[in-house]
Amino acid sequence: MGTRITKIKRTFKEGWDNFRRNGWLSFATVSVLAISLYIISSTMIIGVASNIVLKNVQDKINVSLYFNSDVPDDKIQEIKSKLIGYQEIKSIDFVSKEKALEQFKKLGNNNPSITQALDEIGDNPLLSALVIKAKSAEQYDIIVKAINGSSFAGDISRIDYEENKAAIGRLITIIKIVEQVGLTLGIVFVFIGVLITFNAIRLTMYAHKQEFEIMRLVGASNIYIRMPFIFEGIFYGLFSAFTVMLALLATSKFLAPITQGSISGGDIMDFYLSHFFVILLGLLISGVALGTISAAIAIRRYLKI
Amino acid sequence: MLRFENVSKIYPGDFVALEDINLTIQQGEFVSIVGHSGAGKSTLLKLLYAEEQPTSGVVSFNERSLDSINRKHLPFYRRNVGTVFQDFKLLPQKTAYENVAYALEVTGETDEDIAQRVPEILELVGMGNKMGKYPRQLSGGEQQRVCMARALVHHPVVIIADEPTGNLDPNSTWEIVQLLLKINSLGTTILLATHNKVIVDKLNKRVIEIDDGKIVRDNEKGKYSSTTPKAEVNNKSV
Repeated sequence: MGTRITKIKRTFKEGWDNFRRNGWLSFATVSVLAISLYIISSTMIIGVASNIVLKNVQDKINVSLYFNSDVPDDKIQEIKSKLIGYQEIKSIDFVSKEKALEQFKKLGNNNPSITQALDEIGDNPLLSALVIKAKSAEQYDIIVKAINGSSFAGDISRIDYEENKAAIGRLITIIKIVEQVGLTLGIVFVFIGVLITFNAIRLTMYAHKQEFEIMRLVGASNIYIRMPFIFEGIFYGLFSAFTVMLALLATSKFLAPITQGSISGGDIMDFYLSHFFVILLGLLISGVALGTISAAIAIRRYLKI
Repeated sequence: MLRFENVSKIYPGDFVALEDINLTIQQGEFVSIVGHSGAGKSTLLKLLYAEEQPTSGVVSFNERSLDSINRKHLPFYRRNVGTVFQDFKLLPQKTAYENVAYALEVTGETDEDIAQRVPEILELVGMGNKMGKYPRQLSGGEQQRVCMARALVHHPVVIIADEPTGNLDPNSTWEIVQLLLKINSLGTTILLATHNKVIVDKLNKRVIEIDDGKIVRDNEKGKYSSTTPKAEVNNKSV
């Protein structure tokens, strides 16, 4: 047990020395790895954040069915109980014309001119409505079609839906494009990152040729000979992860004013801070994984034991 | 202790380095291996410290075939075998002390153990007063002593010395041979591959001659060459 700890300590130190002494090579390696991690992590952050935005927008969407003024409330309630049976529908609210008027007045902040205008009309000009929320955004089309084809289609004065549709569709498309481009770029850079790290470790191996020969001759175990390179790979990964953490902080700070209020009422900076440890953990794991994989490839290819 | 049974080594390109070698070496022997450059001496030694594997036949150590040792356990076998080379193979950025300590570090010995054993062994090879010197500050003979210390530090059963005096002047050469004899007298088996006629003749110990990959001579108390020595013997024949 004691010797195992001693060995880990020694190989760790050796790996750290390799990393440190490589100087510019380490710097370049960390940079390229960091770029790949940055692209991937920012893509993921954009993905998660824009899904939050999308969900907020979707929560605000609904379809309003305005009924002709001659349709009695009983009939509307009857239609409501029919509609509630649709599995696509999440909720239905009945807004009577009286309630609609109340809301309208409130919206107008009891503006005297509006109140006056309404008084002049005398009658309540607003229509009773059913406000429908679907379970997901794509289902509004189906719901609207079903209603148009139903027996009570004639009672409906108008359906308020179209205007939101285009905006949601655009948002979904943008999210998809961002995710695809980000992931493709990410994969390309991961590949380049692994290659560069692999090459850095290969150069270290070359520089330490004599040590290997001696280590083998005096009977150092295979794992002992390999460990410093695994540690070196891990260091590249760790340093890249921390670099990306800083880069993301800077990016979030830069983008904060633009994203004000759009992500759960906060901005991208709030998102970054509230997810700080998840992002850090994710980056550390992927950084270490990339470094270890690169080291393993280099060891397999160049380290004769 | 060491045995070769019908061992052949053929390198790619059908180059036959060793052919049908049968050889037994007992614990505590001092064996000189002689032969021309390229005769197969180094290959024979490489098979012993498992740097190369035989193409056919069996090399065994204490009745155990080296072939049967798992690659993972090979390093532990190698700790039984100390190696010394013509080109020293010392790490230039480490002192004499550190070079010897390195052999213990990489096998996981504790710092206390290293601090105790390294000076002892350097003392044994007569380098106790130059432990802090770097290889470039030492003469060839001194560097080879450090190598011997490194080879000895794991208390090997056998020392394999491949042309250890090839780069040394006659004085240093003789000092190294004395050291080998001293180690041998403590019970360690010595295998010495050399071109140095003077040494072999003076040793008057077992001599194995290899020519063209085959053992052509194995004398209990042999000389460098089987023929009568000529008058104009060189100190060093390269």
